[in-house]
This record gives sequence, C-alpha cells and structure tokens, in this order.
Amino acid sequence: MAHTTNNFSEWVNLQLDSDSSFAVSEAVRSPSLSKLAGGVFPTRKDEEWRYTPLGDLLDSSPGRDTTVVLDHEYIESLKQAMPSAHTIVFLNGEYSQKYSDSPTALEDSGLNISPLGQLEGTALKLAEDTILNSTLTDDNIFQHIALGLSQNGLFIEVNKNIEGQTPIHVIYISTAHGVTAFTSPVNVIRVSSNSHLKVVEQYASLGEAAVITVPASYVQLEDGAGLDYYKIGIENARTNHICNTSVRVAGSGTFRSHQYLLGSNLTRSNLEVSFTGPGAEAILRGVYLGDENQHLDVRTYLDHAHPHCSSDQHFRGILNGHSRGVFNGLVLVQEHAQKTDAQQSNKNLLLSRDARVDTKPQLEIFADDVKCAHGATVGELDSDALFYLQSRGIDKKDATLMLTRAFAAEVTQEIDIDSLQTYVQDKISASLDEIVIPSV
Amino acid sequence: MLSIKNLQVSVEEKPILKGLNLEVKPGEIHAIMGPNGSGKSTLAHVLSGREGYSVDAGSAHYKGLNLLEMAPEIRAREGMFLAFQYPIEIPGVNNTSFLKKALNEIRKHRGEEELDAIDFLSLIKKQMKLVEMKEELLKRPVNQGFSGGEKKRNEILQMAVLNPTLAILDETDSGLDIDALRIVAGGVNKLRSADNSFVVITHYQRLLDYIIPDFVHVLSDGQIIKSGTKDLALELEERGYDWLIEEAESKD
Ligand SMILES: Nc1ncnc2c1ncn2[C@@H]1O[C@H](COP(=O)(O)OP(=O)(O)O)[C@@H](O)[C@H]1O
Ligand SMILES: [Mg+2]
Repeated sequence: MAHTTNNFSEWVNLQLDSDSSFAVSEAVRSPSLSKLAGGVFPTRKDEEWRYTPLGDLLDSSPGRDTTVVLDHEYIESLKQAMPSAHTIVFLNGEYSQKYSDSPTALEDSGLNISPLGQLEGTALKLAEDTILNSTLTDDNIFQHIALGLSQNGLFIEVNKNIEGQTPIHVIYISTAHGVTAFTSPVNVIRVSSNSHLKVVEQYASLGEAAVITVPASYVQLEDGAGLDYYKIGIENARTNHICNTSVRVAGSGTFRSHQYLLGSNLTRSNLEVSFTGPGAEAILRGVYLGDENQHLDVRTYLDHAHPHCSSDQHFRGILNGHSRGVFNGLVLVQEHAQKTDAQQSNKNLLLSRDARVDTKPQLEIFADDVKCAHGATVGELDSDALFYLQSRGIDKKDATLMLTRAFAAEVTQEIDIDSLQTYVQDKISASLDEIVIPSV
Repeated sequence: MLSIKNLQVSVEEKPILKGLNLEVKPGEIHAIMGPNGSGKSTLAHVLSGREGYSVDAGSAHYKGLNLLEMAPEIRAREGMFLAFQYPIEIPGVNNTSFLKKALNEIRKHRGEEELDAIDFLSLIKKQMKLVEMKEELLKRPVNQGFSGGEKKRNEILQMAVLNPTLAILDETDSGLDIDALRIVAGGVNKLRSADNSFVVITHYQRLLDYIIPDFVHVLSDGQIIKSGTKDLALELEERGYDWLIEEAESKD
C-alpha cells in the first residue's frame, strides 16, 4: 500500500484526538488508532482494491449534519420491511430512542439488546471479546476505521435455548445536508447454544450531500445456534458504503446470510465466515443491482477449518448503464476439514453494453475427501425466452422486466420472512421499472 | 385471414424460404407437411415475428395488416398464436401469472376489461380439463421440469386460454403418444369455428386423422411443391416425399 494524503485521511487524523465518546473501550480502540495514524489507504495498485474506485470517498471531509429532518412517513416506509419486528433505529450513528421500540418490550425474552456505547461489565467484556476474536485481518483499514471512530452500534445477545424470538430490525439512517455525513457503526451479535434469531440490518440515506458508511459487524454462534442475517442496502446515489462482517460458527451451528445491495454509489461488502467446530453450515445469498455509474462489490471468505461442515453460496448480479459489479469469493478447505461440502455460484445479467462485471470464485482445497464446486456466469437475457413471452402478447419492456425480476427471484424467493421478501422484490421491481428501457 | 405471397427468407445469408405462397381463409385448417429442414419452422417463426430472419422478398398479410412490420406482441394481440415446436423453459416466471399477464395484454388491446385473479383462475381451470393437464403444473415456472408431452399440452392450454383467430401449430404432435395426440387434437377441434383458422405443421399423417384439414401442402426446400386435400396426406404416408420432390424437380 502506498502512502497518500487525501482529504479523508486528514479528516481521520483529526478524529484520533477527539474526546467524544466511543462505541468500544480504549483497549480495543487503540490498536486501530495506531493503524489509522499511519494514514494508509488502499489504492487501485493494491490487487484487492484494483476494481474498487475509492476516489469519491477519499476526497471527502465529513462533518456533522445539524439539520436532521426526518418525517414519520419515511421511517414507516423503512419499517414496512419488517412490520412485526422489534425495531431499533440509528440516526447518523446515534441510537434513536424516539424511533426505536422500547427495550422493555424484550424483558424476560432471553434477548439482551443494547446500544454498544451503553454496555458495561460482563456484557461489555463479551462484546469486546467477540470483536477481538474476529477473522478480520490487521491490514483491513476499514475495520480500523469502524473500531477507531465508531460512536455507537448495537449489541445483541441471545441466551441459550431461545427459539422463535421476535426478529430484530436495525435501521441505520444517514442524513447529509451541506456536508458529507460519516458513520461507522460497530455491531456485535452473539447467539448462544441451540438458540435461533433473525436480524435484519437496513441502511438508508437522505439529503443532497455525500454519505460515508463504514460498518463492522462481529457475529458469533455457539454450538447448534442459528442466525438468519439480512443486510438490505437502499442508500441513495451519493453514498459510499464499505462494510466488514466477521462470523464465527461453532459446531452444528447454522449461519444464513442474505445481502441485497440495491442502492448507493459504491458498496463494498466483505463477509468472512469461519467454522470453529464440526457439522456447521453457512448459507450465503445475495443480489446486487446496479445502474448508471454504481459500483457494487461483494467479497466472501469461507474458512472450512473443521470437518463435516457445509457452505452454499449463491449470488446474482444485475447490471445496467455503466455500472460495475464485482464478485470475489474465496473458499478455503483446510487439510483436516474432511467431508466438506462447499458450493459457490455467481450469476450475472448484463442489461447494457457498458455494464461490466468481474467475477472470481475461488476454491483452495487442502483436504482430499470433499465435495466442492464453483461456477460463474455472465450473460444477457435469453432471447428465446424474450421471444416466447412476446409471442404471447407481452411487450418487450414487460418481458425484459419479467425475466430480470425472475432472475433475481431465484435468490429472493429464499427469503423466509414474507414481509421482507415482498419488500425486497418490490424494491427490485421498482428499480428495474426505472432502468429497463425497451431496446427496440 | 392470412395471405402470403412469394415469401423469400434467409438466415445468415442462406436462403431458406424461396418464394412461398399461401392463402388461408376464415374457418379453414391447412396442414403443412414436408421433410426435415424444408423450412416449416422458419415459416412459423417469420409469421410470428422472431428476430434473426431476413425477409428478402414477398409479403405476408394477416387480416389485411402487414404482418412483417408488426412487433411480435402486436401480432399476438391481434389474435395470432404460435405453438412452438420446442417450447421455451423460463425459470422464475410462474406459469399462471405469465398466462394471466398474456391474456390481459390481449384483452386490453381488444378494449376488453382485464380479468382479475378469480375470473382468470376459473377460466384456466376449465381449459385445463380440455387438455387434461395436471393442476400442479400451473404453480411451476413456465415449462420448467415439464416432460415433452406436458410442454406440448401447455402450448395447447395457452392457445385455449388466449383463444386466437389464427393458430400455427409447429409439430405439436411430434414426441406425443397416441393418447396425448388425441388430447391435443381435441383441444384444437374444440376451438374450431367459422371465424378461426389453423395452420398445422406436421411431419406425420397420423395427426390428420384427428384434425381433419381442408387443405394439405407439401413444403420442400422452401417452396410449396404440391397442394391438395387430406387424401394427399394419405398418399404421402404411403409413398413418402421423394416421388413428389422428384416430380417437382423434373418440372423445373
Ligand atoms: N438460426 C439458424 N441459423 C442457420 N440455419 C438455420 C437457422 N434456423 C434454421 N436454419 C436452417 O434452415 C433450414 C430450415 O429449418 P427449419 O425451418 O427449422 O426446418 P423444418 O422446421 O422444416 O425442419 C434448415 O436447413 C436449417 O438448418
Ligand atoms: Mg421444425
């Protein structure tokens, strides 16, 4: 990595001495602070960042939006995704008591939910241990930004043997008027043995100025625990979003993740899953939908460090205009991880000549008794299918829309929360409606 | 109804149809027979507006409209229907909602009110009995996981629901056992009326035992080399195509 100064790194340096309160304790922060003091950001020369245009982000000097105006209807429209969930709202990085459901609603539920900044004692220790245990590497500068600068975030802990608990819906809203908004929420989710939970993280942004969002999430599942973890990105076209998620799944645990990247100027999502015991399972799903000059970048890393684990990844990209998609998935099967079953599939649909995708599914296998497969495709709409629909009276625009929606639905149909499935499919349809122009 | 004059069509510079003439009047059933590769599917595709064909000469009019200038969906909305020789599988698009959308596009075009889900369902259930199709196939994506016979029945089901004025059946009979053949033919015969016409492309005489054509045409190397009544089909069954092709060549 090369040393470069830019507006953003200068701004980061100014934050290092800030005396505001932070999400995590000094002990967890300080290694990140020293990394940040180095001021080193990746450039296009770094192999891992070759495709990711960070220019807009690095040019900006965030400030504070003091004119937050949120209307009730807007919040309600976001809540539509999960009307019966327990909702928690973060507004410009701060926990919003006003818009969040009262924590008392969860009393005696076996669920402990709290803004990270309010944690104390053993809970704080548990949260910070989870962070320190993560798989994110030390050269991951954006994790250091999150840890070093985060003012808040969410801690979720589920006690043992809790099933069928109300899903949690966390909404992060950034508002940017006149000045670039910056937030970096740190989230910790721990699910104890034989418990199951569903969490939906939704990211939205408002305002005419730019937004930077740099979340870091740390997830730990104990033996036999299950988590359905949804990430919904519907930020506006001035938003740059770079997130890191580290997940550790103990024996017989099941981690199910869905990511829907349906907005922003740039999103780069790095998801790392590591099995820490045998018989664990990870199911990763996602759709990225880009138009104009959007850049959507999905990275996954799966560490099969134990035998009898399975992972199944299925990501689909739809790219229009000059947008660009990246899928970079690495599955590592370690020497003693016998009976591993690892599947990885990435399919992309290019709707315009200028759209582009770079896909790189990778398998590194050091065990001999495994079942692994991966594949990637990049293609256009099937002209035979288009003609078939047209020959039944459906015009080209609608036929294109139907086929593109269907392409995404192969993934979205696996969302097993009805309201969320409808919400995501409607968002996709609405975006497609705008971008699919009949190419007569 | 359908009037084709001197139609010449090529694919990638290769001439396929070489001056084809055909007149179909309301209420008539025309059978088109001919050896493999003679251009039968090409004719069906050009009439329904598939891309990739270049019309080098001639014309095709349907109800007085210049077919060759119409988008495929407009032809369908005007009452044309093609039963595909190889129906396309469309993953992710539900068979029922696809057909409902198609029907409502056609109804809109005709200035009729769109059918709601309940009315549509009762219509489709009625027509499914006609083709003896399993109801479960309605819930699946279009043609996906259908057997060869189920795909062909699905074509006839679509035809029954969309109720076209002119239907072109491209080898709907091939690959069907005799029971399925009877069902498909039954579907066509139910729709038969003084206003509707059919062009039935087939390779075998046997379909014509069930769908009695008014005219039989033999297509060979892009031209109709002989036309006759249903007796011509019987003669072809007995003698094959070769004698006809030789006869046509000796005339040149
Ligand atoms: N897309 C295509 N590209 C090249 N040749 C084609 C194409 N479609 C059809 N043909 C050729 O046109 C001729 C007629 O084909 P087709 O109309 O399918 O015949 P039939 O239906 O009578 O068996 C064949 O020689 C076939 O190989
Ligand atoms: Mg054919």
